[in-house]
Amino acid sequence: MADVATAAAAIQMAGWEKPIGAAIAFAAGAIGTAWAQSRIGSAGAGTIAEKPETSSSIIILEAIPETLVILGFVVASMIIIMI
Amino acid sequence: MDYGYINARIRGMHSRLFDRKAYDALIIRQDIPSIITELEKTPYKKEIEEANILYSGITAIEYALRKNLVNTYRKILGLVQGELAEKYIVIFLNKWDVQNIKTILRGKKIHASQDEIKECLIPAGELDEATLNELLKQPDVRAVVDLLATWEQPYALPLTDYIDEYSENRDLVILEYALDKYYYQKALEAAKGKSTEEKIVRRLIRREIDANNIKSVIRIINDNVDWDDAKNLFLEGGLRIDEEKFEKMVESGNLENALKHLDGTPYYFLSYLPAEALAAGRISVFEKELDSYIISNNTGTFRLDPLSIGVIIGYIWAKYSEIINIRIIARCKHAGVSDEDLEAELIHV
Repeated sequence: MADVATAAAAIQMAGWEKPIGAAIAFAAGAIGTAWAQSRIGSAGAGTIAEKPETSSSIIILEAIPETLVILGFVVASMIIIMI
Repeated sequence: MDYGYINARIRGMHSRLFDRKAYDALIIRQDIPSIITELEKTPYKKEIEEANILYSGITAIEYALRKNLVNTYRKILGLVQGELAEKYIVIFLNKWDVQNIKTILRGKKIHASQDEIKECLIPAGELDEATLNELLKQPDVRAVVDLLATWEQPYALPLTDYIDEYSENRDLVILEYALDKYYYQKALEAAKGKSTEEKIVRRLIRREIDANNIKSVIRIINDNVDWDDAKNLFLEGGLRIDEEKFEKMVESGNLENALKHLDGTPYYFLSYLPAEALAAGRISVFEKELDSYIISNNTGTFRLDPLSIGVIIGYIWAKYSEIINIRIIARCKHAGVSDEDLEAELIHV
């Protein structure tokens, strides 16, 4: 009887904790990416204005912080699917 | 403020400054026309082409260098416009205003022609070319000061205070010292806070004040000026040279003893200059060493925090040093100086 009650409580808790955890994981990654891209973006714009030949390197540098948000997405997915 | 964008642009501009290889390419040239051809392959191309239409020879190079310096400084001023850094960058560019006013006053005193004076002006500060042209049209020193006062230019304040004294003595040092004192007071006032920017700017300004005080001491000793007159030439606010040290140096009697007082300060290197320069009292040697020290220190701010005002200030000085070096190369080639002696004249390469 007690096992059934514990399982029910666990299911009830998972109802709101999982999405909140996943949201935090994704949001933190997204905010980090946004902050990093804004800094790289402004510096990159300055560099391209003076040295247009660096455009391709700057675009690659601008894309690197995307890995943060992808990592956040993966963690969020794992929370929802695996826990 | 976002230094990311501005400093990235400044770094881009810095990457186009001359390196050792570029200087060597100029030095191996034998005459002025070939130096002009070489400069046409550099970022000076636009200004050199413009100069070639108006002038020829060394005058064309001088014109192009001045124009390039003015364009560069105006570009920097445009980049920082409306930003916090503008206030501090203006301090460094205002030096050119002081320099230009001094040049006009000197020119007017010796009755040089307008064209002659104009050749020596660098309108890189807040006083633009049109303003300086109007000042040039004035007949004498007093008229220049009066015009500045009419325009309510801040530089008129120290000049009007001392113009009567100048009229009595006819000694331009009085007005030049008043201008310097006013400029440094204003600069220190603008950078008196505790922010990183203000600390960097204040340190550089105070070091410059020291250099000016040391130069004054050297001139005072060379000209045998007594302390009563000399004390009026002391600039307050220096980093290591206070009034007491200044007095001790002046009253040392000769240059060698005066420079010994610099031991333990960053300017100690002056007392180790060649003995013949000391004995002959060759002021230019000391002034050049001091200028070189100031330039190499100020350009060093470029390597401070990459997201600070140091990058912009460092570039301003690095550009100035480049212009000086190209001028030295052009002048030496024009005068037929050997490459070895020319190399010795270059600063902070």
